[in-house]
Amino acid sequence: MTAYIVPAIFLVVLVASLIKKKDAYGSFIEGSRSAIDLMIGVFPYLMTIMMCVELFRRTGISNLVASLVAPVFELLGLPGQLAELMLLRPLSGAGSLAILDNIYATYGADTFVGRCASVIYGSSETVFYVSAIYLSQSKTKKLRYALPVALISTLIGCVVGCALLRFL
Amino acid sequence: MAKVWLFMLISALITALIKDPSVAVAAMLGGAQNSVSLAMELVAMYGVWLGLFALLDKVGIADFIAKLLRPLIRFLFKGSSDEAQKYVSMNMSANLIGLGNAATPMGMKAVKLLGDEKESANTNVIMLVVISATSLQLLPTTVISMRAAHDSANAADFLLPCIVATVLSTVIGVVLVKICSKLFPDERRKS
Repeated sequence: MTAYIVPAIFLVVLVASLIKKKDAYGSFIEGSRSAIDLMIGVFPYLMTIMMCVELFRRTGISNLVASLVAPVFELLGLPGQLAELMLLRPLSGAGSLAILDNIYATYGADTFVGRCASVIYGSSETVFYVSAIYLSQSKTKKLRYALPVALISTLIGCVVGCALLRFL
Repeated sequence: MAKVWLFMLISALITALIKDPSVAVAAMLGGAQNSVSLAMELVAMYGVWLGLFALLDKVGIADFIAKLLRPLIRFLFKGSSDEAQKYVSMNMSANLIGLGNAATPMGMKAVKLLGDEKESANTNVIMLVVISATSLQLLPTTVISMRAAHDSANAADFLLPCIVATVLSTVIGVVLVKICSKLFPDERRKS
């Protein structure tokens, strides 16, 4: 389904540019010109976060912290085995995807733990990463209450989603 | 973010020094290397998506989508400019159809326009960050294909709770931002 969306959008736009007699080639070039500039701004954040997450995982400290907070997640009805996924999901998409893969391999994709992990990963975003990247081009640096609000909302969503899984 | 980063690095480095110091440098460089290859992939993606956005803008489709979403965006982003609303609407549509990496460059431009180049984020910037960070993606294609790869009998059977969780987290986020914006109003212009 999603495979059709992007080619269809491109086709519609290109046909529209033909009808409206606009220079599609020229505007595409103008648009993609800013990609490198954008990345120059984003890259330091990317590197700083990814270096930190990798070190955090490889030293085993993320496992340790996860086992410490697991009882809290258990209280909320989330399987304790998913604590590491919950902790790293807000920080790194690639890092948490590796953990998700590991959970499927260890517990199976169709078990309650596996399905819970799917809901958690599928319904959430990389909160810290998104906010750091979105602000990277702007002078705005202080996010005030944005991060706590995003994290609490995500947690509530996950708790309700996993609770629903017990009935569906 | 700064505090989280500091806590993670310090705790990881102490652990590394106690357990196995050789891991530390390898892990840090490994993470940095991964970021370089991710950056290369992202440059390509940004190039394609920004090119597409320029096309959408040129033929007037961007304005059309912004007009469709205007009632919603006006409610969420009080007093934002038309230009900012256009980027916000492109950001939200890209997030909705699961193109997070296409949404990112639009989000950055929207934050720049919404934020007035002030150091402290105003309610509109916070709203955009919260909406994006609580996920808008209704169809988590990555998860479905990964479950299928792990021989799931029905790879999409978590979708309903997942969509409930996605929508609920965004709605709660929006409501909380609206409440917080009353409790902690934005700085006045001259401060």
